Amino acid sequence: MSQYAMVIDLEKCVGCHACAIACRAEWEVPVGKDSEGREQHRCWVQRLGPAKTPHGLSYTYYPGLCNHCDEPSCVAACPYDLETRTFVDPVTGKKVTMEVSATWKDPFDGTVQINKEVCWGCGACADACPYGARYVNEEGEDPKADKCTFCVERLAVGKEPACVQTCLAGARIFGDLSDPDSEVSKYVKKGAVGLESSAVKIGPNVLYFGNKRDMSLLKSTCTPLTMPVADINTRRLLMGRLAKSSFKGLKNFALIGMVGGLMIENASDKDSEE
Amino acid sequence: MAINLTRRKFLQSATCAAAAIPFARMAKAEDNFVRKPYVAPGSFAGTKSVTGGICGMCFWRCQLVGKVRDGKLIKLEGNPKSIDNGKSICARGNAGIKLLYDPDRLKYPMKNIGKRGAPVWKRISWEEALDECASRMNAIIDEYDETALSIFPHGSSAKYPMEFFEYVVGTPNNSEASFFQCRGARDMAYLNTIGAPADEDVDMPNAKAIFMLGTHLGENVHVSHLKKYLKGLENGAKLIVVDPRFSSSAAKADIWVQIKPGTDTAFLVAIMNYLVKEEKYDEDYVDFYGYGFEEFVEGISHATLDWAAKICDVPAKQIKQVADLLAENAPNVSIHPGRHTSWSGNDFQRERGLACLTALLGTIGVKGGFVKPVNPKVGRCGWPRLVNPHEDSLHYLAHKYPYSPPGTPTDLIRETALSGDPYPIKGMIVWGQNPMQTIPDQQLTIKMIEKMDFVMVCDVMPTDITMYADILLPETCYLERYDYVKKGTQWDYSQPHQQYISARVPLVSPTAADHERKDSVWITNELAKRMDYEEEIPVKTSKEMVENILAGAGLSLKQLEQEDGIHIQPGQDPYDVQYDVSFYNSSVAEAGFPGAPTYLPCPQPPKGHARLIYGRVPVHSFNRTQNNAWLYNEIPRNPVWINDEVATTMGLKDGDEISLVNEVGIESASSSILKTTPGIRKDVIYTSHGYGSRNPQLSIGVNAGIDDNALISARTIDPETGTHGMRNSFVRIIKQGKILDIPA
Repeated sequence: MSQYAMVIDLEKCVGCHACAIACRAEWEVPVGKDSEGREQHRCWVQRLGPAKTPHGLSYTYYPGLCNHCDEPSCVAACPYDLETRTFVDPVTGKKVTMEVSATWKDPFDGTVQINKEVCWGCGACADACPYGARYVNEEGEDPKADKCTFCVERLAVGKEPACVQTCLAGARIFGDLSDPDSEVSKYVKKGAVGLESSAVKIGPNVLYFGNKRDMSLLKSTCTPLTMPVADINTRRLLMGRLAKSSFKGLKNFALIGMVGGLMIENASDKDSEE
Repeated sequence: MAINLTRRKFLQSATCAAAAIPFARMAKAEDNFVRKPYVAPGSFAGTKSVTGGICGMCFWRCQLVGKVRDGKLIKLEGNPKSIDNGKSICARGNAGIKLLYDPDRLKYPMKNIGKRGAPVWKRISWEEALDECASRMNAIIDEYDETALSIFPHGSSAKYPMEFFEYVVGTPNNSEASFFQCRGARDMAYLNTIGAPADEDVDMPNAKAIFMLGTHLGENVHVSHLKKYLKGLENGAKLIVVDPRFSSSAAKADIWVQIKPGTDTAFLVAIMNYLVKEEKYDEDYVDFYGYGFEEFVEGISHATLDWAAKICDVPAKQIKQVADLLAENAPNVSIHPGRHTSWSGNDFQRERGLACLTALLGTIGVKGGFVKPVNPKVGRCGWPRLVNPHEDSLHYLAHKYPYSPPGTPTDLIRETALSGDPYPIKGMIVWGQNPMQTIPDQQLTIKMIEKMDFVMVCDVMPTDITMYADILLPETCYLERYDYVKKGTQWDYSQPHQQYISARVPLVSPTAADHERKDSVWITNELAKRMDYEEEIPVKTSKEMVENILAGAGLSLKQLEQEDGIHIQPGQDPYDVQYDVSFYNSSVAEAGFPGAPTYLPCPQPPKGHARLIYGRVPVHSFNRTQNNAWLYNEIPRNPVWINDEVATTMGLKDGDEISLVNEVGIESASSSILKTTPGIRKDVIYTSHGYGSRNPQLSIGVNAGIDDNALISARTIDPETGTHGMRNSFVRIIKQGKILDIPA
């Protein structure tokens, strides 16, 4: 199995924000925050410093995106029904059948993806991400969780990820960690690391490389220190769903009643579990 | 994770499965209704690629490819054929479509039936707008003469009207912001030292050391220029950055010189004096190409390391360290000339210093040095030069600013408009420039505007100056028009020599039902017809203009289209071109200025104030981009940098909401957030330019952040060039209505 990954070389990065805007254009990502206050982005740049570090002054950047983690907490959080899905390796034709919800980790390329056809947009996955990499896109008629896909759609047609393509500094290196000769693997040998803490160890596959002072500032300010307590907000899940549907026809009212009843049942169940 | 597992288990429990079933059914039940879960298809899906675009978000002009779906431009990318920017464009370039489709754009010709500065707009037809503009300008010319007009142009679309007003109508009063508030002092200083304008022609990819004075590459982004810089660093060049602030470039530097602002020339002459005294300069180059070297040596002999250390507030040994590092790596050293150089009102001397240092190190025409590209030739197309209005230029009449860049120093235009001496200035034409946020001392600019009989503004977006227009004309943007031929070479001269020629062509049609925008060639021609210059009109359309320019290179738009928007041809080796160097310039001395580069002190802050310096964020081009939804979202307001220890003393914290007040009591109209950092000197406050517009028509940009230019009211003027020194204003901080002194 491959594991797609991205290395951000902070020695090269000049903090120009082109990656963030190219991504916004490519995937029509709205600006601002979603209704739950999450920053709407797939790819972002946070400016850090100038600040003191044990190794000297640093003024650097946190170019962030979905980490396509080894053990993605977002996938575990998805409340959608498990469905049987068969994945086909585009290279070997090999097939793998798995039970997946509306978001999963791809068995062949290691990316974490969302099925927008079925996603409820409840935001549980977004709340479960310690990196704030997901948001709920509320532009369409139905809200949908959204995040970086590593541009697998572009890769499929022979293109680079949009952020990599536009980067003037060549600071974003995309590749396969399972290939020891890949550029990303070489960076790992040189010391590229993901943003992990003792409480957040889910195997991020976006890795950062830089001098001591920049890495020190990045790690000390941008590493998540706690796993988010992704409270299963059943009420939001159901009401969000029903509010969207309720305008569409009287026949849904019956369903609202039905599900509303179940919601109360669920909530009490949940209380008893906690 | 425990909670996640619990939740998962919970959801998979029997109760929950029951809940999930109705959900699934509900989704099915809704199939009767058309549901549109919005899933962006990606810019590659169902789009047509159109080439030939030239970016206009800043003035570096990268080459573009547009992705068009159903007639709508949905994404911009670098043209992969480009040997300049390549497939890369910057944040602003990527955000171009948000300018194109900005709902706040100017749409129709408008007449101000309110007051200048507090406009009430009435939509009028082009016919009425053009008739009124022409008749009112004709009336001014009839009552006074052509010198009673003034123009404030900026950008490639302003070139055609600028030439019309300057060389056909005949007004000398042309204030280009790109000269008088930006690069003018630099290019005039280099012209009068090495005989060529500086541009930013340093061969950084092949340098062993790069020396930058204030230039903050990274915060200032020009794609191919940054590629040169980063390639140099990748190749191991040592980087020296002289800046009061730990800038994006200082952060990558081997040596950061935290200089006191305004003292850079002292730093330079001390380095040069040291190199001369220690015989660490390129004697061969100086002997062969140098003029006035002895007078130069004499003129800088006072500048010891200790002398400069005291003035510049940096250790003498650091100045020596810089000088030695430059000497060790000479001649493969890039002495960066800078770009925005209108700093302190002593800028010609500083830039002369940079040019002399370049020559002293013999770093001209060599790898890593000052090397001008050999650009391809193209044709010229524009208005005939019927008159040379410049014998009536105000600086000639006043015997001032003999080294003025082309046009007339801005302040002479303002002063003359107010005094009427030596002639009245009664008409103001603004094209693509925003003098309100460009020219220091806004109050004086407003007074000048009040003196005008007529103010015409043409632009793409509402800006602070459009509020002062009598007639406001809407222009097509760079993605909808023909107007500029971009040419150059590959940026790394160690690569095979190639030249390129490309032209700005529309990526989408400018026509639409909801606006009546026109391009500058059409607008200017229509004005020319009404001002009795129809016979002089050189081209009927902007497309014809571009065709004529291309024809000079044996090219056509059709051929460019066939070549994916960019014509590439073999280039020439740009190395081994030397320049004669006036170390001591006797003409400058005869004009009454120091003939050898000389440090001239600039004004110092009054007690309780810190010097306001400004720079850029990589997501804005001055104020032109402040209403761009995507760019605004990246850095919504301009943080105000203050030294962290000073902040603590003042009881201020990072993130505090503050505004600024300057030394004459002018307060910023809006507020911003404080950024406390060790990366700035204690006697300096920094913020970035391009914020704080006051035009309510900008639904995103209005009052976002602080307008630095509003606080720059001190009018220091470089005595040689007449360009503005814009870093001689001083501020205090206002928090919760209370003015706080800044302990230096």
